[in-house]
Amino acid sequence: MLSIYKKELKSYFLSPIGYVAIGIFLFIFSLIFLLAIFYNGAYDMGNLYYNTARFGLLIIIPIISMRMFSEERKNGTEQLLLTSPRSITEIILGKFLAAATLVVIILAFSLMYYVILCFFTKPSLGPTLISMLGFLLVAMAAISAGMFISSITENQVIAAVLTFVLLFIPDLTGLIPMLNLMESYMKFPAGLVSLSEVVSLLAYMIMFTLFTIIIMQRRKSVK
Amino acid sequence: MIEVKNVTKKYANITAVNNISFDVKDGEIVGFLGQNGAGKTTTMNMITGFIEPTEGKIIVNGYDISKKSKKAKKQIGYMPEGVPLYMELTVKEFITYMAELKLLKGEQKKEDVAKVIKETGLTNVQNKLIRNLSRGYKQRVSLAGTLVGNPEVIILDEPTVGLDPKQITEIRSLIKELGKNHTVILSSHILSEISQICERVIIINNGKIVAIDTPENLEKKTKEKNTLFVTVEDPKGNMPTLKQRVPQIEEIKFLKDNEDNTKQYAITSNIQLDLRKVLFEVLPKEEITIFELKKDESSLEEAYIKLIDSDKQEQTSNETNENRKNKKKGNKATKEEKEKLKEEKKKQKEKQNEEKAKKKEAKEKEKKEKQEEKNKLKEENKKEGGKK
Repeated sequence: MLSIYKKELKSYFLSPIGYVAIGIFLFIFSLIFLLAIFYNGAYDMGNLYYNTARFGLLIIIPIISMRMFSEERKNGTEQLLLTSPRSITEIILGKFLAAATLVVIILAFSLMYYVILCFFTKPSLGPTLISMLGFLLVAMAAISAGMFISSITENQVIAAVLTFVLLFIPDLTGLIPMLNLMESYMKFPAGLVSLSEVVSLLAYMIMFTLFTIIIMQRRKSVK
Repeated sequence: MIEVKNVTKKYANITAVNNISFDVKDGEIVGFLGQNGAGKTTTMNMITGFIEPTEGKIIVNGYDISKKSKKAKKQIGYMPEGVPLYMELTVKEFITYMAELKLLKGEQKKEDVAKVIKETGLTNVQNKLIRNLSRGYKQRVSLAGTLVGNPEVIILDEPTVGLDPKQITEIRSLIKELGKNHTVILSSHILSEISQICERVIIINNGKIVAIDTPENLEKKTKEKNTLFVTVEDPKGNMPTLKQRVPQIEEIKFLKDNEDNTKQYAITSNIQLDLRKVLFEVLPKEEITIFELKKDESSLEEAYIKLIDSDKQEQTSNETNENRKNKKKGNKATKEEKEKLKEEKKKQKEKQNEEKAKKKEAKEKEKKEKQEEKNKLKEENKKEGGKK
């Protein structure tokens, strides 16, 4: 799994995807930071992460997840993976953790705003870290959904659009609250770790990862 | 080494591979031969565990590919069709990644990667990005990825497609070398390639195995007659009457006049007879000088075409038989349907007639009633007029 993880993580930075994801995140994060500071005259790191998760992840996650399996399938490199002695679970987890690590790197960039604030005031570190943890969990859940979509199509654009729809529609319409990730990111921004939110995000993550495993297993007999 | 037992692969209504069985022994080089879409790649994909057969078993070095896939896959190096590669990696990175996928670690991994890079002649380009390489080098990189980890079974799907003649000969000699220490299965639709490299040929057509044999045996089996090409100087013109002297000759066919006053003939005889010795003895006695005597080496290509054609003929005859049966069934069905339709039409007409008759009756009744009412009114008016 480690070899797949390393190769996948490297691939994000050998292609523009890693840089584009970091750029978009920093743009949205900065914009919300500026709006909060200049219009409200106050800062709230929790609120900053909440709004970035709500609007930024809709764009960042499809970019990260669209290539996970679609690209392999289109280029035929899927054959190299699936005829190796590695199990499908290993392959999926390797790819999933590499994408999650990219989000960790993205989050690490957000800490520079914390450092900037430290020059002017004393922002509390604990709640900020909890907000970041929640952000990471929401992002990982969204990645699992994107990974599932990527496993069912070989067209990266379709994978990205469907992932966007899957993340955006439940939040926009309020329908299917179970699929609305933002419902499970209410207490984290306030600096609280809620067991119910952690469990629901983990359940979402596990559900879509299992779906991906099932799809990949099934493709062996269908394709 | 590899046992394929009654394997079938179906996609919805299409049967890509239909109940094939064969085995490949240790250290053998076996070639899959077939037209495009014959089922070569599907069979290879099933042997490598990329897809699962709908029915049947595949055993690689004692491990069932469906049940003990990890152990079975460890024995296999697969070079898929179309040379899929990670273009963003360098040659060395790609081969190292392939080694890691095959569970190699530490020093062994480094040694194996270096060895394979050397074997496939990639030393000069090992730090180049794969996307910047030529087609031939990409093919070599793919082959290197297949060979890393020293797998016992090597499966190559059309390994020489898209290469120039020099690269083709290089790859072929490399495959021959591999055959000394590995079991090799390769697919191709290039017949000469198969006959040059492989010890045994499996000919597939429409998902079925048409023949399994050595290239030489396949040629022999499909040959019906023995043909000799003779170039002679025949000043007295005795060649056409040679059949009388050598009764084993079935036919003497004049082919061409050469510039040096020699003539070329094709002499055919029974497949079991070799007339070369006899001709060398008889022709000088007839004052015919032999310039050249050559046996017709019927190529594997002819054997292949004959086998495919005979398979096609069988299939078409089966299909036509089925079609005839279906047509007969269809005719019976249509007759029955026509009769039913006729009956239905009759019934409908009868109903319509009944309805019309009822309507007429009703109208007549209405008319009668109206007339009666009118008559009554007239009578009443007359009576009233009389009273007045």
